[in-house]
Amino acid sequence: MSDALSKEQAVGVYRTMARIAATDQRIQQGLAAGALQFQYYPCGGQEAIPASIAPLLNDDDKSVITYRCIHDIVAKGTPIREIIAEMYGRETGTSKGKGGPMHLSDPNNGLMVTTGIVGAGAPIAAGIALGEQMKGSGRVVTCSFGDGAANIGAVHEALNLAALWQLPVVFVCQNNLYAEYTSFAESTRSESIAGRATAYGMAGEKVDGTDPFAIHAAATRAIARARAGEGPTLLECVAHRLQGHAFGSEEAHMDADKLAAARAANPVKRFRQRLIDSGFAEEAALAAIDAEVAQEIDDAQAFADSSQAPAASELLADVFASVADIPEVGKRPVMSAASIPDSAGRKIMYGQAINEALDQALAADDKVFLLGEDIEDPAGGIVKATYGLSTKYGRTRVRGTPISEQAIVGAAIGASMVGYKPVAEVMIIDFAMVCMDQIANHAAKLRYMSGGRTSVPITLRMLTAGNIGSFGAQHSQSLECWFAHVPGLKIVAPSNAADAKGMLLSCIDDPDPCIFMEAMRCYFVPGEVPEASYRVPLGQAAIAKPGTDITIISYSWAMQEAMAAAATLAEEGIDAEVIDLRSIVPLDLPSVLASVGKTGRALIVHAAVEFGGFGAELAARIQEAAWGSLKAPVARLGARYTPVPFAQNLEAMHFPNAEGVVAKARALMKA
Amino acid sequence: MAKMTLKLPKMATSMQNGTIVEWLVQPGDTVAQGQAIYVIETEKTSTEVESPFAGRITPLVAIGDLLPIGTPIAEIET
Repeated sequence: MSDALSKEQAVGVYRTMARIAATDQRIQQGLAAGALQFQYYPCGGQEAIPASIAPLLNDDDKSVITYRCIHDIVAKGTPIREIIAEMYGRETGTSKGKGGPMHLSDPNNGLMVTTGIVGAGAPIAAGIALGEQMKGSGRVVTCSFGDGAANIGAVHEALNLAALWQLPVVFVCQNNLYAEYTSFAESTRSESIAGRATAYGMAGEKVDGTDPFAIHAAATRAIARARAGEGPTLLECVAHRLQGHAFGSEEAHMDADKLAAARAANPVKRFRQRLIDSGFAEEAALAAIDAEVAQEIDDAQAFADSSQAPAASELLADVFASVADIPEVGKRPVMSAASIPDSAGRKIMYGQAINEALDQALAADDKVFLLGEDIEDPAGGIVKATYGLSTKYGRTRVRGTPISEQAIVGAAIGASMVGYKPVAEVMIIDFAMVCMDQIANHAAKLRYMSGGRTSVPITLRMLTAGNIGSFGAQHSQSLECWFAHVPGLKIVAPSNAADAKGMLLSCIDDPDPCIFMEAMRCYFVPGEVPEASYRVPLGQAAIAKPGTDITIISYSWAMQEAMAAAATLAEEGIDAEVIDLRSIVPLDLPSVLASVGKTGRALIVHAAVEFGGFGAELAARIQEAAWGSLKAPVARLGARYTPVPFAQNLEAMHFPNAEGVVAKARALMKA
Repeated sequence: MAKMTLKLPKMATSMQNGTIVEWLVQPGDTVAQGQAIYVIETEKTSTEVESPFAGRITPLVAIGDLLPIGTPIAEIET
């Protein structure tokens, strides 16, 4: 296959460049006239990069791009009228007006993610490429990011993973010489970004990002490598940015002479002239293209102007697949008790139940796969949760990874967007903090930001290792509240073996991203677990012990303390009802309120730090909804406001325990 | 022939208000698209703003007043 642009292709590239420039100018016109009011990142100078790669991509090849994005979106094939409509926040926009200028998605044309977070697209692109590789589709993923992103950790993790797994992805670094207000030379000592490719064990190439012929030739090689299974390429395209960082922003940080020279050599005008000079096209033919483009832009503007703003119902749509899962909606139907099949007295440990759930999910659906550090045999995970599974299902479906949490979660996100149901292990929940951007800014928000056009059905397994001794401050936290504060995440925290199995299977089935918190303190506790594959629905609390005097609400391993306390209270004649919340989101508030309505007293117990913990949210909701039936103020018992100490006596003082629960309950009974 | 209204543009992330400190055109002038037509001062900086359209311009506001973004500031008959 020739890597030279044909005459026809070259004219096509010009048409795309002209459409890009016209779209960019129309948006800036709207901004200058005050009709549009947002921060806009112009793409002038970089038009040739995606325009020259576009002829090499099919509609079902995928792209992940970043917020300086108009050129990439137009080139990938998204109709301009949908882009303009999105800028105006209209329901006819690419993301129903819910994404805006930094978050356009158009999966029909392979545009999977536009991220506003520098560098964050690279792990997701690797994940999409992983999905395509596993399908054997021959599709390729392009991932565009700037020179600034090249210095961010997520990109490093993604490049390493993509090279390790030989993923069909082309990382297109659009080096426009400025990372926001900081020049390339002030950001790195590297002469080039492409030069780093060697260190990752992948191909690298640097080209003039204003020269369509050079870009096209290099991209032809990169895409051929990707399609042939020869792995990723880091393609650096250097193209001077022709404006400040954003519309209206000053340009004092830019070298004035170089900026003037770059403007004088405007790539769109230069390529137009080159086509004429080289005999590729007549002036009249290009003028005709320009006229068509101008008409297309006017039509796009009229389309946006005549479109409606999103309906009010769109506010809550696309947070989850179902609006009923939004906690504040509060209209969850009270569900009948989950029908867990008869266990016939079969007892296995919580950890074994998790292993069994993963085993059954892998057996039932070839779109399920596992990834994470150390999960392959012989290790089989740090607490053996995945032991035996890589031997049984192979290392494609039970996939060990480098210690790269951003890449692990990003890979899961990406693969889930092309039809897989990944179960990623983040080992200890404390490590989720290093990949929180992938979880909170991407997994949680992609459905919403895309106006429901994409979804992220992933399960993220993490251990909470509190109160088992010796793990200390960075391996023992309960961080459910961090996740609960991000709309779009489901948070599941089973306290026993039967729930662990049934809820993990529900998470894997679920259309939304699920954080599955596994309590280390429960891991080796046996419970009755049916052998069959069954589901415990998310968002259905369980009455672990019925009672009439006080409602104790807990979840995860703190349930052990709540149940022990209830037994002590019973000896004193206090009949406590213990509710196992099971999931934080979806939240089964109706079950909690039904119980509190009966007992008139509520005590929330959790292992997380009490201050700012989930108990505060729940207490407020109970107070607001059940004020009339309360006999005492709603109380909370969580961990003390300290990092988790190492010394066992101090750790025991940090966490809530049964004695403390009993003391609080007694006090409430006297109130 | 259409009458386009120019509103006070949002020139920076943090911008809520701006002041037009100088009109670079006279009422009734014919302006070209891309021609600098006024100088706006915001919290951060003062900037010349280019006309988004070509046509006959009529400024609607005086210089010196602190205006919220979105305030109509001129009309251009294209």
